[in-house]
Amino acid sequence: MESDPAQRHIFGVAAARPELGRAGIALRRFGQHIIELLGTKRIHTGWVIPGGVAEPLSSANRDEILAMMPEAYANISLALAAYKQIADKFQQEISVFANFPSNYLGLINEDESIEFTDGALRLIGPKGDIIEDGITAQRFTEQIGEAVEAYSYTKFVYYKPLGYPEGSYRVGPLARLNIVKSMGTSKANQELADFKQIAAGPVESSFFYHHARLVEVMYGIERIEEILADPLILDKHVRATAGVNRLDGASQIEAPRGTLSHHYKVDDDGKITWANLVVATGHNNKAMNRGVLQAAKCYVKDGKFTEGALNRVEAVIRTFDPCLSCSTHAFGQMPLAMTLLSAEGEVVDQVVR
Amino acid sequence: MTFAARCLILACGNTLREDDGIGPFLAQWAEEHWRDDARVRVLCDHQWTPEMAEEVAAAETVIFVDASLDQAPGQILLRELTPATLKPALVTHHLGAAELLSVGRDLYGMQPRKACLMTIGAGSVELGEGLSPAVRDAMPAAKDLLEVTVRQLLG
Repeated sequence: MESDPAQRHIFGVAAARPELGRAGIALRRFGQHIIELLGTKRIHTGWVIPGGVAEPLSSANRDEILAMMPEAYANISLALAAYKQIADKFQQEISVFANFPSNYLGLINEDESIEFTDGALRLIGPKGDIIEDGITAQRFTEQIGEAVEAYSYTKFVYYKPLGYPEGSYRVGPLARLNIVKSMGTSKANQELADFKQIAAGPVESSFFYHHARLVEVMYGIERIEEILADPLILDKHVRATAGVNRLDGASQIEAPRGTLSHHYKVDDDGKITWANLVVATGHNNKAMNRGVLQAAKCYVKDGKFTEGALNRVEAVIRTFDPCLSCSTHAFGQMPLAMTLLSAEGEVVDQVVR
Repeated sequence: MTFAARCLILACGNTLREDDGIGPFLAQWAEEHWRDDARVRVLCDHQWTPEMAEEVAAAETVIFVDASLDQAPGQILLRELTPATLKPALVTHHLGAAELLSVGRDLYGMQPRKACLMTIGAGSVELGEGLSPAVRDAMPAAKDLLEVTVRQLLG
């Protein structure tokens, strides 16, 4: 966190530990190559379409993905071991990186295992108690509200029965692992058991999003292997067709960074006339802002930003993996400006990256 | 999984942002043009990303193809490229061509014998499909230059 700014990026880490850098890049390539194999062509891929997918999976492509599995397992095991080796060195960061009691929201199966596409949402409280279970996409707008704050363009999402801001919660890997009792796969279950040892109840520090994310990567690799082992994966019937039979529809999934809700209205031709998206960054917005305040109180001293303080405040945001970076890609960089105001509202210090 | 191409054409761009689609347009042409030539491999994506570094490092030669806002619309430039120093504020979701060379060299201990960057000046990168007239007019010359460059690199 205090290292030379010139080395403070993922490739700086890779220069210090090349084997870890290569493993991280190989894991990304593993996922990207699967998309490429499924997409039938590299340019203008359009494999996932309404009603299913455009093309069945060929046995050759299935076998190519299966051939990549040993390397993927080796790389995620390396990453988990490396994380566990260094995590203890960040006790102060753990204590102030959005480390507070909160509610958590995520999809879960009836057997209380992790779920990404089906199931229903469960909201748990700060001690792990279930506040509400079985929130389906149809009931989403009844239960989930959107607040607005003057200082942010992003919506602040909350659980209506508790009101705002008391009904705020966290979503994403940390929330999912706090909610579920099982990952549903063997290696990830072992990792979940380790994760649950961190705290008696829900794991509160957002620093542990990193740990939870690695456990989910292990789960993802295991699930890919399970799915590919099922002969049905080569079935040629991969798309259902239908016309417009409803004018209003909603759905919810768990995206890697958290719960994602899409709600659309269409006309008789199927053209979208209204849309509302509630994305993970909106769900996590309140917690991210509280986390920035918590870290700033700890690291910003004597009215001055230091490189270490700036880096840590940014690192709090990054634990949540918000989509702010993606939405600013068009400008080439993620702009970061921090301003320290006195109680009277005067600018005491300011930095811009 | 990683191919050691004799000549790797690596393009990037977005066909939904008007002239930013130059890279994908040329990549599609190149893929068809060299379909039966195993020495040439064509890759294209919205952005250049770290996972491309190994393939770049393993290739004998590389031609990066991209749109540029720093050139007159339709102007075509070709320049030789060397690995760049990685900047502190690096965005790791996407990399520049010279940075990709650098990551490949540092992580995999290899780099292409020769790398070059071909850029075509973009007139507009607003939302929309299709190329502007100046860029469309430049496409035959861009294809010719790409073909000549590949031929030279293959020796």
